Amino acid sequence: MMAEDIQAKLKNYKTAPFDARFPNQNQTRNCFQNYLGMNIMWLLPVSTSWQRSPDYSKPDFHRCTKVLTAKGADTTPCEWFRRVYKSLCPISWINKWNDQLEEGTFPGKI
Amino acid sequence: MAHQAHAYHMVDPSPWPLTGATAALLMTSGLAIWFHFHSLLLLYLGLTLLLLTMIQWWRDIIREGTFQGHHTPPVQKGLRYGMILFITSEVFFFLGFFWAFYHSSLAPTPELGGCWPPTGINPLDPFKVPLLNTAVLLASGVTVTWAHHSLMEGNRKEAIQALTLTIILGVYFTSLQAMEYYEAPFTIADGVYGATFYVATGFHGLHVIIGSTFLAVCLMRQIQYHFTSEHHFGFEAAAWYWHFVDVVWLFLYVSIYWWGS
Repeated sequence: MMAEDIQAKLKNYKTAPFDARFPNQNQTRNCFQNYLGMNIMWLLPVSTSWQRSPDYSKPDFHRCTKVLTAKGADTTPCEWFRRVYKSLCPISWINKWNDQLEEGTFPGKI
Repeated sequence: MAHQAHAYHMVDPSPWPLTGATAALLMTSGLAIWFHFHSLLLLYLGLTLLLLTMIQWWRDIIREGTFQGHHTPPVQKGLRYGMILFITSEVFFFLGFFWAFYHSSLAPTPELGGCWPPTGINPLDPFKVPLLNTAVLLASGVTVTWAHHSLMEGNRKEAIQALTLTIILGVYFTSLQAMEYYEAPFTIADGVYGATFYVATGFHGLHVIIGSTFLAVCLMRQIQYHFTSEHHFGFEAAAWYWHFVDVVWLFLYVSIYWWGS
């Protein structure tokens, strides 16, 4: 039932909803946390598949869904994080962090 | 010939405030000259003049108080207020650096990895040398209190022993800290972690050196019979300063070394 709720939420998505964890004007942490969440999500089912894959340093949304599908897990968390950080984060930040992930210099804990 | 009909001290004209101000000017402009033109001359001149000013000004105060008897009870009260106000101003000085530390560490930015210590920083183990340093300073607080009590009881020998021990502990702290600085895996240039760490602990270390020097002067004075069991404000001022230095370290240790790791 949760899955239908999330699917419904994604379908009706307009922009990032209020998140009580980040109540103040400075939403930097909100953006960063969702970007991390997105990139942790596909690493979480750590066991085998991503470690064998060629360039696991790429925060590949498609890889996220693929990995979670392979595990038979619900893939909607990935999409949710992606939507939220795409709504919140400045594009230059996303590009910078993606480049850092590629280079292996991303400072966040993934 | 008129005699003084009050208990206060009208100080004779002295050149040391002027030389002190001149030293301040030479040091500030000397710093700027060093930054831009690579010459240390003006800075050295300023530092030399500062040292001479301090030595001669405080020597004169000792002459006025200990040898000429100008430090009556009201005068001593004023000196006490002065020392307390000065130490209070130093508390605010350190408060600023603690503010800076907490500002950066309570909400670490994405550039740092959103975590504290920042990604890539290996902080010092708080339970190794820093803990020893804490023990050393706490012990020195005990020895300086022992020295004070000995002084008040007229026990000359023990006062000298306790004061000497306090100074030795102070020097021990300084050398341990110097070794830590040398061996540490991060520098002052290593982001906001390095900046807050070395500026806060560095100024503290400077204050330990100042406090140790103040205590050493008291030791020399005690050996030369300057202090009585009732009147030894110079020593009390040094002891207050020393306790202040100890308390600042405790805050540094808990905040930066322990919580901050």
